[in-house]
Amino acid sequence: MIDVQALSKKFGDNLVLSDITTSIQKGEVVAIIGPSGSGKSTFLRCLNLLETPSSGSIEINGKNLTASKKEIHKIRQQIGMVFQHFHLFPHMTVLENLMYAPMKAKGLKKYDAEGKARQLLERVGLAQKADAYPNSLSGGQKQRVAIARALAMEPELMLFDEPTSALDPEMVKEVLEVMKDLAKSGMTMVVVTHEMGFAREVADRVLFLDHGVLVEEGEPESFFKHPTSERARDFLDKVL
Amino acid sequence: MNLDFSQIVPYIPFMLEGIWVTLKFVFFAIILGSILGTVLALFKIGSAKPLRWFADAYTSIFRGTPLILQLMIIYYSIPQLTGYDISPFLSAILAFGLNSSAYISEIIRAGIQAVDKGQLEAAQALGVPYGAMMKDIILPQALKNILPALMNEFITLTKESAIVSTIGYLDLMRRAQVVGADLFRNFEPLLFVGLIYWCLVMGLTVIGRMVERRLKLSD
Repeated sequence: MIDVQALSKKFGDNLVLSDITTSIQKGEVVAIIGPSGSGKSTFLRCLNLLETPSSGSIEINGKNLTASKKEIHKIRQQIGMVFQHFHLFPHMTVLENLMYAPMKAKGLKKYDAEGKARQLLERVGLAQKADAYPNSLSGGQKQRVAIARALAMEPELMLFDEPTSALDPEMVKEVLEVMKDLAKSGMTMVVVTHEMGFAREVADRVLFLDHGVLVEEGEPESFFKHPTSERARDFLDKVL
Repeated sequence: MNLDFSQIVPYIPFMLEGIWVTLKFVFFAIILGSILGTVLALFKIGSAKPLRWFADAYTSIFRGTPLILQLMIIYYSIPQLTGYDISPFLSAILAFGLNSSAYISEIIRAGIQAVDKGQLEAAQALGVPYGAMMKDIILPQALKNILPALMNEFITLTKESAIVSTIGYLDLMRRAQVVGADLFRNFEPLLFVGLIYWCLVMGLTVIGRMVERRLKLSD
C-alpha cells in the first residue's frame, strides 16, 4: 500500500532522513520508534507531504506523491492524521469539527455528515460531547475527537504523530484503547510513539530510526527481545 | 464667555442629516477596505512572488502618502485624465477604501500569521482545499485576534472622514462649517458635530465589544 524508496529529507544542510526504504502493507500496524530527533515525525509527515522530501519517492496505492502535488489534497483525503497537539478547530463544536472536512472536501450532504459524525463520536465514547467546544475537553477527550475527525473522512490509512505524548498519564490509556480498537478493525496504521507497551502489543512491525537512518525493522516480539543492532539495544535499555 | 447654543437650533436638522451622509460613505469605504485588505493580506502571505511585490508596493504607497493628498488626487485627477466627472461621494469611498485597505491588509496579515501553524496542517491533512481552509479555518481565528486592531482602524476611518469636507462633500464636518459661516459663530456648530462624532465612535466601540464577546463563545 505504501512504498517508500530512498527517501531523504534535508532541513538546510541538516540531513534529517537518510535514504529510507520500506513498504507497508494494507491492514498492517507499524510502530515507528527511536530517540527524539531521530526523524520519526519527519518521516511520518513525509507520508502525506506535510514535509516535502528532498529526494526519493513515496507511492501510496501506486500513486507517486511527489509527482502529484496538484492533486495532493485528493490523496490526503485518504490519509488520516492525528497530531501530538490535537489541532482541533477551536471555533467549531466537536460535531462541526467532524463534519467540516467531509462536507467541504468530499461534498457530503449535511445530513449524511452529521449521521457519520455522531456514529464516530459514539465509537470513541464522546457522543455526549457533540455540542461542546474543544477547549472545554480534557486532553484525552480532545485526542479521541481528533481521531474521530480523521476517521470521518473514511481514510484508508491513518498516521499518528506521537498521539499520547502531550497527554497527562491518566489519559493515555483511553486514547490507546481507541487506537487498539481501530487496529483490530483492520485499519492500516503508522504510529510514531514512545509507548513501547503499545508498540509491542498492537504493532505488526516495528521500525527503529536513529539519526535519520532506518537502523532496524522487525516483528515486535523479536525486536524487543533480541534487537540485532547496537543502537537499538542502547535505546531499549534506556526506555524499558 | 460668549456662547449661545440657541442660535444653532434651526440648523440642527441640517447638521443631523450629515450623520447619514458621513455614515453612508464610511460604510462603503469600510466594506471596500476590508475586502481589498483581505485580498492584499492573502497576496502577502501567498507563494506567488509578483503578487507579494504588488501588495507590498501598494501598502508602501498608500501608507506613505497623506490621505488628504490621495483624496485630492482622485477627486481632481480623474476628471482631468479621463473626462469622467467623479462625484465627491465616489472619490471619498475610493480614497478612504484604498487607503484603509493598506492598513487593514497589515492587520490581517499579522493575524493570519499568529494562528497556530497546526491549524493549517490539520486542515491540509484532512484534504481541505486552500480557499475553504482560509475562509473557514484560518481567517475566523485570525479575526478573533485582530478584532481590537480592526475596530481601531474603523474608528480612525470614521473620524478622519472629516477630511472629505475639503472636496466639498456635505458631511458632518462640512455642515458645521456651513452653519458657522451662516451664523458668524463657529464654536457652537463645531462643538455640536464634535459631540456627534464622539457618539458615532462610541457606537462603533460598543458594536466591537459585542462582536468580541460573540467570538469568545468558544473559549
